[in-house]
Amino acid sequence: MRDFLSGVLLLVIAGVAVWQASDLTLGTLRHMGPGLLPLSLAVLIAVLGVALIVTGGRGKKVEVGRFPARGPILVLGSAVAFAVTIQPLGLAVAGPLVVVVSAFASEETRWIELLIFGVLMTVFCLLLFKVVLALPIPVAPWLLGY
Amino acid sequence: MDALFANLAHGFSVAVSLQNLGLCLVGVLIGTLVGILPGVGPIATIAMLLPLTFKVDPTGALIMLAGIYYGAQYGGSTTAILINIPGEATSVVTTLDGHQMAKQGRAGVALGTAALVSFFAGTVSTLLIAALGTPMSKLALLFGPAEYFALMVLGLAFAMVLAQASVLKAAATILIGVLLATIGTDLETGEERLTFGFAELANGIDFAVLAMGVFGFAEVLRNLEAPESRDVVKSRIGSLWPTRKDMRGSLLPMLRGTTVGAILGILPGNGAVLGPFASYTMEKKLSRTPERFGQGAIEGVAGPEAANNAGAQTAFIPLLTLGIPPNAVMALMVGAMTIHGIIPGPQVITKSPDLFWGMIASMWIGNAMLLVINLPLIGIWVKMLNVPYRLMYPAIMVFCCIGIYSINNDPMDVALTAFFGLLGYLLIKLGFEPAPLLLGFVLGKLLEEKLRQALILSRGSFMTFVENPVAGVLLLISLAIVVLAVLPSIGKSRNAALQG
Repeated sequence: MRDFLSGVLLLVIAGVAVWQASDLTLGTLRHMGPGLLPLSLAVLIAVLGVALIVTGGRGKKVEVGRFPARGPILVLGSAVAFAVTIQPLGLAVAGPLVVVVSAFASEETRWIELLIFGVLMTVFCLLLFKVVLALPIPVAPWLLGY
Repeated sequence: MDALFANLAHGFSVAVSLQNLGLCLVGVLIGTLVGILPGVGPIATIAMLLPLTFKVDPTGALIMLAGIYYGAQYGGSTTAILINIPGEATSVVTTLDGHQMAKQGRAGVALGTAALVSFFAGTVSTLLIAALGTPMSKLALLFGPAEYFALMVLGLAFAMVLAQASVLKAAATILIGVLLATIGTDLETGEERLTFGFAELANGIDFAVLAMGVFGFAEVLRNLEAPESRDVVKSRIGSLWPTRKDMRGSLLPMLRGTTVGAILGILPGNGAVLGPFASYTMEKKLSRTPERFGQGAIEGVAGPEAANNAGAQTAFIPLLTLGIPPNAVMALMVGAMTIHGIIPGPQVITKSPDLFWGMIASMWIGNAMLLVINLPLIGIWVKMLNVPYRLMYPAIMVFCCIGIYSINNDPMDVALTAFFGLLGYLLIKLGFEPAPLLLGFVLGKLLEEKLRQALILSRGSFMTFVENPVAGVLLLISLAIVVLAVLPSIGKSRNAALQG
């Protein structure tokens, strides 16, 4: 099952690459165009994908295991939340947001501990990145203007 | 020989500046910390801390990043011995006898021995890098596009065979990496490739974005699903100093381990991971009392630890002299060098001697620091193990987000990293290994460039790769490695070796 799904994933990747590379010039071997390498790679990946699907049926079956959606959605979602909020709202909002949203992915999270930790982390990051390293990160444009 | 010492002396004069010493110290301390903390690897850390180095000059930046890397090797052996979890992949072997020693109340001796042999191995390989640097880069300057292409193919072939995933899957991950490298504006024609119409992708995918997605975010996701049970040694750590008997037992394994590790480390394609395994097997074969192995034999710690550290250091040789990174961490170093405007390759040694020799000298200084500072600090490091993961991973997330954002001050990069996190998570779940992906990605651009150049020179004939003796031999070796790995009988022993 695992190898079958792996093969499917490879075929999807190859398919996307072929679709994207379809209108690029291939050129000749003497003068390779921009499309030649991506397309050849896509073909090779597809071949490996098929090989995985074919061989996956044989031998010991490895199950994939559960695909819990909570972890990926919350953890990756916290990064997306950061991307959306960092420029309009600044690190003062985006920082705690990442901590709180991602923390919900774990079942062990405790509310009070989390809030204190989120605030401390943000203060630490502000000191480190803003004061010590002076990186141009917006802190709180709606409040401070930068 | 005189030139070598003059160069090293120059390197030390660069490395002992207050700033560089400080950066080296910070690097090895952070490195030890991430080596000890399970779930935070050197790859994610280096990617995360790249923005910290923006303000310093490239030499200082690389000194610190290199420190993180070999510091993590030290830290990795500490967890291997104390809690039977290899902090880094290369310290798997150390768990076998090191943790047994800890259970017998000899944790201190195991830690002390590991630190001492690592320092010895580090010293030898620093000298080796210094000695090989100049001749190797001269050799590399003679290489044409065909030879370079063949060399990179060899590196990728090694990476494929040495990956822990199946050969098919490793090959696929490498190809996906190369494919990701083709995204962006084509250098020759200016056409946009595989950008899905996003203007942000026209410059290609930022290396740190891919690395942090596939290693940082995806690792967090994996660790959340598999809570580790930690079996911290409760008994006393005991004296750190090996007894005279221990020292006598460690001497030859240390020398052999250093040799094996250093040689494997130079190989393209992450040969360094084999070092500890090879050393352990060798010591067991050579030992008059092989039954002691796995029961807390000091040779089983001294040999592999020396091999581990020697390989970690000599892995810098292909990077610094040929510009070809042999593993994922070195691939990150390429990224760091590029951000600082240095193109890795044979010209580094002549164009930026301060950087080259300063970095080499700093490695020795860093190793000495690890020896002096880390052993007394072991108590503190062990305490760090008690930080619960539920607090650690949100902190990792914040650091990653700020780190990625700061590279280009572009929020899109953070969103893109989340996408690669998802890809990396899927790959890990399906039994792929993400490290070869990164290697393929870093080599991808150079690979295409050299392939195109070689084909233009040969007027489109692939025979150029066969007729050219160097390229031909290198490609033949690559082919042989892959064929051998695919053959079932050898494939089995490969799996056995890689899984210890």
